[in-house]
Amino acid sequence: MDRIVVTGMGGISAIGTTVAENRTSLIKGTCGMGRLEMFPSKFSDTLPVAEIKLSTEQLKEKLNAFEPGITRTTLLALHAMKETIAGSRLTDEQISSLDTALIGASTVGGMCMTDEMQRDAQKDTPGSEYLASYDCGSTYMYLQKRYSLNGPVNTINTACSSSANAIMFGARLIRSGKARRAIVGGADSLAKFTINGFNSLHILSPDLCTPFDEERKGLNLGEGAAFLILEREEDATGKKIYASLSGYANANDAYHASSLSDEGIGPYKAMSDALVSAKLDPAQIDFINAHGTGTENNDKLESMAMLRLFGKVPAFASTKANIGHTLGASGAIEALYCILNLEEQELYPGINFKNPITETGLQPLRMYQKAKLTHIMSNSFGFGGNCSSLIFSKA
Amino acid sequence: MELDLNKLFEQADTKMLAIEPSYEDIPPGILRRMGKAVRMGAGAAMPIVKNNPKPDGIIIATANGGKEDCVKFLNQIIEYDEGLLTPINFVQSTPNAIAAQIGLLTKNHGYNITHLHLGLAFEFAIIDADMMLSENPLNSYLLGAVDDISSYNYNFEDKNGWYKKQAITNKTFYEINSPGTIAGEGAAMFLVSGKRSGSVAKLLAVDTLHNEDEFLMKEKLQDFITKYLPAGERVDLLLTGENGDSRLLKYYSACESVVKDNVSVARFKHISGEYPTATAMGLWLCCNILQNQSIPGHMMKYAAPTTRYKNVLIYNNHRGTQHSFILASG
Amino acid sequence: METAQLKQQLKKQIVESLNLRSVNPDDIKDDEPLFGEGLGLDSIDSIELIVLLNRQYGVVIEDPKEGRKVLVDINVMADYIEKHRTR
Repeated sequence: MDRIVVTGMGGISAIGTTVAENRTSLIKGTCGMGRLEMFPSKFSDTLPVAEIKLSTEQLKEKLNAFEPGITRTTLLALHAMKETIAGSRLTDEQISSLDTALIGASTVGGMCMTDEMQRDAQKDTPGSEYLASYDCGSTYMYLQKRYSLNGPVNTINTACSSSANAIMFGARLIRSGKARRAIVGGADSLAKFTINGFNSLHILSPDLCTPFDEERKGLNLGEGAAFLILEREEDATGKKIYASLSGYANANDAYHASSLSDEGIGPYKAMSDALVSAKLDPAQIDFINAHGTGTENNDKLESMAMLRLFGKVPAFASTKANIGHTLGASGAIEALYCILNLEEQELYPGINFKNPITETGLQPLRMYQKAKLTHIMSNSFGFGGNCSSLIFSKA
Repeated sequence: MELDLNKLFEQADTKMLAIEPSYEDIPPGILRRMGKAVRMGAGAAMPIVKNNPKPDGIIIATANGGKEDCVKFLNQIIEYDEGLLTPINFVQSTPNAIAAQIGLLTKNHGYNITHLHLGLAFEFAIIDADMMLSENPLNSYLLGAVDDISSYNYNFEDKNGWYKKQAITNKTFYEINSPGTIAGEGAAMFLVSGKRSGSVAKLLAVDTLHNEDEFLMKEKLQDFITKYLPAGERVDLLLTGENGDSRLLKYYSACESVVKDNVSVARFKHISGEYPTATAMGLWLCCNILQNQSIPGHMMKYAAPTTRYKNVLIYNNHRGTQHSFILASG
Repeated sequence: METAQLKQQLKKQIVESLNLRSVNPDDIKDDEPLFGEGLGLDSIDSIELIVLLNRQYGVVIEDPKEGRKVLVDINVMADYIEKHRTR
């Protein structure tokens, strides 16, 4: 079969509500971190987050989405989906076709309604409007209804690599003939649940996160959503092709529930297997959009794995310094950024970096630059050792 | 515990709790941290992994796994007002913890994924395994599903009207004509590969539909059978997820009308209870039926004269809108 | 509270909060390493124990790394509690 190509995309993050806005911000090196404002929390003034400055009510107005039980995660997904569909050349018939799949991901899902969920979970409280919304799958069931989708609709959760796996699953559905096209991606909103959860593990930074820096103190949480449309190249005649998805892999670190092994087995295997699947040598990767959360564990071990695999590590950076860690959306948003790199033949600066990790000496890219780019790798490593790596190539 | 499928454990409540073993295959230091879904899933998986070559990946489905720990963590947030909180509930609340823990216990660095799409999560896990095996024909995968009854999902679903309001027994709940069913929980795990010899069953096809219209469902089922039933063969058994909820009877009736009178019809939800990935239990029971060539009396809804059970069609409906069709043969 | 009593209570609390089902508190030796060997606890357990010290004894340990210097064995923990407890 010929290539799997990207023929549409849409995304929203703390640095832009559209793909174009995201690009402008990335070029400028905008940092989307700020004060938590959307819900009251003890951490509002102490933990920077990358919040999208559109309230849930504003999102409902903008998207004409007032259904009872609709959550912020679903609204962000809808926002990105709207842009994706609008910019694509898909007809209504194709969208509703039995061979159009929607493969989504989320880790927070409706749990962004943290207080409501806690109340609803008690035996004797009356049920709120969100009773059927807490599941991660409910976001994609909403989109299924809203867009009258009749093809396969599925939801995947592999923690922080969730939407990377959604992208892979969609591609594989196309390769196997089970779908002709796939809308793939993920969404997650900020939530009291995740802020407290990550804080309990002491991996949130009280300052702006500094991926790959010697003094890094942890990650900043973010929120967002992104979707790509994947099709077979033979079906994309006459359409704009943004990039091709030329390789991918999923591997498990199998070491610990919330940290990576000293050898970085999972990251190494995911990157190495992705290269094999793309039939590429390490030297052919022009840039890596690293997982780079800013935690002590991830950044060191991702660096070691990159050194072990590449020897001479290609240019790399983490966009989590711009948009925070968007959890279930991160794989998809960062894939979108890789596609922008390839489409525009440019690289964005890795921000908030000062000094390399002593043990590795690796420095992320620090300046915006135009570049000849053919193959780009995007890494996402999650809790439970769920590691994934995607390779996108120039259209 | 000796397994006798002919014996039905009677449960008189709206919750059918799993009978848990002592989990000897899980080291105590790891077991202590596991929430119920994780230990049921790992507990069901370990005997397979112990007695077979290491699978090349782990493909798990769960709609609610980890949510009990989620509620425990939420309660901490409220009780301590976002103060100092213990992290283990948060770490174990992620649905991928089941697949991750199995991977960790077995040092499996291969493909590892969790499917979540409620009543179709297990079906997509099967589709995933099917694709992996097409891409890697010599591989084998651990495939399975688990869901537990946690205060999280039980109270939400009860308030949403999915469970019977009166206390009932699983022996009679098919006869009570009222909305609602009994909550269940369980784990079912399988080793799947492309190797026919030595296998218990062959999965011929799986398909899904998301729609409320029973006529559309009937059409889809007819197409499914036409497309995937081997030429010249018949469906020998229809195994359904009928669950005592009067609102969903029309789908099961529609299904039975497609396969016609000379096909045996059996049901399994009185054994498993209702939960999103219960079809995995249905498939497990199907494998038992194919191996033993007999159906426990309490499962039988309609017994057609049959000399051999070869092709089994499993139909399940989750909350009216999610339909799953699985065709397996012995 | 007498030191011996505190140590006994601490052992019970550790077993309970870490759900160490197969461990009898009386079998934990006062100088048995909590991490690595001995009880074989890990980094998540160390955070759990920091929370326990805070909730039960009002002992504040800000940084998990600093915490590992205290969470050595029952003797060291009890000693630290006696010096820093506010409850």
